[in-house]
Amino acid sequence: MNKELTREERTDALGGMGCKRKRVEDARFTQGKGNYVDDIKLPGMLQGDFVRSPYAHARIKSIDSSAAMALDGVIAVLTAEDLAPLGLHWMPTLAGDKQMVLADGKVLFQGQEVAFVVAKDRYIAADAVELVEVDYEELPVLTDPFAAMESDVVLREDLLGEGGSLPDGAHGPRKHPNHIFTWEVGEKDATEQVLDEADVVAEETVYYHRTHPCPLETCGCVASMDKVNGKLTLHGTFQAPHAIRTVVSLISGIEEHNIRVISPDIGGGFGNKVGAYPGYVCSVVASIVTGVPVKWVEDRMENLMTTAFARDYHMTGKISATKEGKITGLHCHVTADHGGFDACADPTKFPAGFMNICTGSYDIPTAYLAVDGVYTNKAPGGVSYRCSFRVTEAAYFIERMVEVLAIELNMDAAELRRINFIKKEQFPYQSALGWEYDSGDYHTAWDKALKAVDYDGLRAEQAQRVEDFKAGKTRKLMGVGLTHFTEIVGAGPVKNCDILGLGMFDSCEIRIHPTGSAIARLGTISQGQGHATTFAQILATEIGLPADSITIEEGDTDTAPYGLGTYGSRSTPVAGAATAMAGRKIRAKAQMIAAYLLEVHDDDVEFDVDRFVVKGAPEKFKTMKEIAFAAYNQAIPGIEPGLEAVSYYDPPNMTYPFGAYVCVMDIDVDTGVTDIRRFYALDDCGTRINPMIIEGQVHGGLTEALAVALGQEIAYDDMGNVKTGTLMDFFLPTAWEVPNYETDHTVTPSPHHPIGAKGVGESPHVGGVPCFSNAVNDAFRAFGLRHTNMPHDHWRIWKTANDLGLHG
Amino acid sequence: MELADEITINAPKEAVYAALNDPEILKQCIPGCEELIKKSDTELEAKVVLKVGPVKAKFTGDVVLNTEGAPDAFSLTGQGNGGAAGHAKGGADVVLVTDGDQTILRYEAKAQIGGKLAQLGSRLIQSTAKKLAAKFFKSFADVMAEDPVA
Repeated sequence: MNKELTREERTDALGGMGCKRKRVEDARFTQGKGNYVDDIKLPGMLQGDFVRSPYAHARIKSIDSSAAMALDGVIAVLTAEDLAPLGLHWMPTLAGDKQMVLADGKVLFQGQEVAFVVAKDRYIAADAVELVEVDYEELPVLTDPFAAMESDVVLREDLLGEGGSLPDGAHGPRKHPNHIFTWEVGEKDATEQVLDEADVVAEETVYYHRTHPCPLETCGCVASMDKVNGKLTLHGTFQAPHAIRTVVSLISGIEEHNIRVISPDIGGGFGNKVGAYPGYVCSVVASIVTGVPVKWVEDRMENLMTTAFARDYHMTGKISATKEGKITGLHCHVTADHGGFDACADPTKFPAGFMNICTGSYDIPTAYLAVDGVYTNKAPGGVSYRCSFRVTEAAYFIERMVEVLAIELNMDAAELRRINFIKKEQFPYQSALGWEYDSGDYHTAWDKALKAVDYDGLRAEQAQRVEDFKAGKTRKLMGVGLTHFTEIVGAGPVKNCDILGLGMFDSCEIRIHPTGSAIARLGTISQGQGHATTFAQILATEIGLPADSITIEEGDTDTAPYGLGTYGSRSTPVAGAATAMAGRKIRAKAQMIAAYLLEVHDDDVEFDVDRFVVKGAPEKFKTMKEIAFAAYNQAIPGIEPGLEAVSYYDPPNMTYPFGAYVCVMDIDVDTGVTDIRRFYALDDCGTRINPMIIEGQVHGGLTEALAVALGQEIAYDDMGNVKTGTLMDFFLPTAWEVPNYETDHTVTPSPHHPIGAKGVGESPHVGGVPCFSNAVNDAFRAFGLRHTNMPHDHWRIWKTANDLGLHG
Repeated sequence: MELADEITINAPKEAVYAALNDPEILKQCIPGCEELIKKSDTELEAKVVLKVGPVKAKFTGDVVLNTEGAPDAFSLTGQGNGGAAGHAKGGADVVLVTDGDQTILRYEAKAQIGGKLAQLGSRLIQSTAKKLAAKFFKSFADVMAEDPVA
C-alpha cells in the first residue's frame, strides 16, 4: 500500500521534525491522570514535615521534642544531633559549599530546616511541628549584601580558619568572612583605559531583584529503603535524576547500583528542582531508620521561602562609545546575594554562571566582568529560573545599558543596536569575555521585527503622545520596549562544563522492536516541555518510523542511560543531539540489513524518508518496518541480531539562540497601571522541531518574564522576614494580566549540532524580561528617566511618575 | 510598624495611671488575655491568644514598665513568643494629661513582628494592631467609666 503514497505523503505520515504534532502527554495531563510525586502512595508510608526557623539569624540554645513525640501517631523527630553520627547534618551544595541539612547550632535564614517530624499522616506531622519547642537566641540580621561585606557579624563561623583566618573558598580567595568568591573575566586594565579615553561613557546600577521559579507543583520526594535487598528507591521532583542518584550515593555511602531514582511526571521545574534539598536527605534517613517509605512534600510557603530562589544581582555597569555610537568597551561589577549558603546551580568553573555572556548581541571589542558572591541571611539557591545559568541577568544588564547609552548619546535605541550588532559574516564570533558564538544573523531578525511592528510609526505615535500629555490631553504615556538578546544554552562541553565533577553530556538509548515500533530512553527529564512528543519527532525523521510508534521514556535511573538532566535549555541541544546520533547508528545498521535483503552492496542503497531504496531504482526498496523485522528474525551473515543503539553526546560548543522582541505599552501615570497593547517576539532557535511546542514555550516564557518584570519578587524586611511567602503577595500572572503574543521566527541552524537545533525553552524569558522593563523605562524617557528598577508594579511606576513630577 | 493615637478617659489622671498598673484591669481590657501576672512593680508576664488573618497563636511574653515619669507618663517594652506562629517585640510611650475631670491618654507604639505572623499577616498586621489597640482602650475607658479606681 505504501507504494501508492507520494514521498511527501510518506513524510507526513511519519510526523517527524517540523510538523505541529500534538503533544502526546496532554491526554493524561488534561484528564487529571498525570502521576506526580504526591500521587505516589506506598504501603505503610509515613509523612515528614519540617520545623522551620521563624528567625533569619539566631543561635539555637535547645530543641525539646518531647511534647511532639508524645502526640499519638508521631514516629520520630530528627535533629542535627541525630544526623551528625551519620555525617549527614551537613550536605555539599552544587556550588562547592556545604549546607546544613538540619540546623547545626544556628540558623541563617527564615524558614531554615531545624527538625524533621515523621508521623503517620501529614496532619499529625503538622500538629507535631507546632509542638517542638526551640529556644532561639536572636542574632543581628544581614539582608543587604553591601552591609554584609562591611559587617563584623560573621554568618558562617564554620568557614573560619584558626584564629579567625579566612581560608580560600571553593572558588578562590575570600576578602571578608561574609564574602564567598570573586570571579573575574576579561581585561580589567584595557577596559578601564578604553573607558577613560572614550567620547561617551554611560554608567548605571541595575538591580535584578530576587524572585522565585514557583512551579505549580512544589518540591517533594518519597524515599523507600528496602532493608531486605538493600535497595533505596527515591521518587522525587528531580530535574536531574541521574545526578541526584550520584549525589545520594556519595553522601550516603550506598552503592550507586543500589539506588534507583525515579522522576515521575513533574509539574514545572524552571530551575527550582535542580538542587538537592534537606527534605530529600531527611526522607532518606527517616526511611532507613523506620524501614518504611517516607514522603516529604513542600507546601507553597515552604517552596517560596526555602527552595532555590533566582537572581538577586546588583549590577554596576559602564559602557563606552564613540560619538557616532559605536560601542568600544563594557565594564560590569556584580554584587551577588547568595543567601546563607552558596547553593547556586552553575557549572563548577562558572561560579556566576554564564554571566560573561553580558556583551550580548554586540561586537564589543574590550570588556571586563567581576562578580563578588556574598553571604546574607536569606534562603540559599541562585538557580537559573527559565534561563541558562545567569543569562537573564546578563541579557537584562546589557539591554538596559544599551538603552542608557542611547539616552546618553541622544540616539534611537533601535539604531544604536543595529550599528553594534555582530555581523553575520563575523560568525563564529569570539567575544571579549571568552565565548565563541556559533552562528547568528541579527540584522535580518532585527529588520524583520521592526518592520512587523511599524517601528517608525510607533515612535511617531509616541512623540505625539508626549505632546498630548504635556498639553494636558491625556494622562497615559506610551513605552516602546526593545530587546535583542543572545542566549547561551546547551551546557555543555565536558572539557569546561561539569557540576560536582559530573560532565554535562547527555544520552539516548534506542531499542527498535521487531514489528517496527520503538522505545527510546533519554538521560534528561521533561517537566512539561513535551519531550515525549518532540524527541519522537527527531527519531521519526532520523530512523523512518512514525513518531506515534515511538515511546519516549525518561526519569528512571534503572532504565534510562546516564545524563545530566533538564535545565538551561539543554535537552534539545544535548539530549536532542544524542537522540539524532543514536538514530543514525540505527540507520547505519539498517542500511547493511537493507543491502543484504535487496542483494546489493551497502553503498548501493540510500535512505529515503521511511525506507532504504536501491540507488537509481526506487521501486526496489525495504521499509524500516521490514528491516526491523528482518533484524531480529532473519539470519544475516556477519550481522548480529537486534536493532539497538546508544549515544552519549558531548557537545563541541554551546548553542546561541537569539531573538528580537518589541513590546508596546500604555501606562496610566496616575495609577501606575500598565496595559500591554502589543508584544511581538521573533525567535531564532535554529532548526524548528515542532512549531506548536515552540510557540507554547514562547508564550510560557513571556508570561514568566511579564511576571518577573512587572511584580514577582521575593522581598525581605530588615528582620529577614519573607514578605512575599504566599500567592497573596507573590505575583503569578493569570489570564487577566497576560496580553496576546505575536510570535515569529527566523532560522539560523547551529553549525555544530547534528540537526541544527539550538533550544528555545528559556529564550522568551531571557528576552522578555528586558523587553517589558525597557518599555516601562522608555515611557518615561522623554521626562528625564534613565533607569528604574524592577519589578515594575503599579506602586513603583506611580512612584516613578511622582518622582519625575508628573502628578502636578 | 508604628501606631499612635489619643483617647479621652472619664477619670482623673492618678486613677488612670493606677489602673494602667493594675493587672486585673489590664487583663480585662487586653483582647485575648488569658493570664497576667505581676512579677514585680515593673515586670509583668502575660499569656495572650492572638489571631491575625489565618494565624492564631498563644503568645507568652514579658513586659517591663518604666514608671519614672509617674503619673504623667510611663513607657513599656516587651517581647512575646508565639512558637511556630512567630514572635514580636516592641514598646510604647504613654503620656497622661489632665483635661478638667477627664484625662487625655496619648500613646505612641512601635513593634517588630517576625515569623509566620509577619509572612502571612503582613497585609493585616497594621489594621489588626489598630483594631486591637482601639479595642483595648475602649474597654479601658468603659471600665474606668463604670468603676473608677479610687
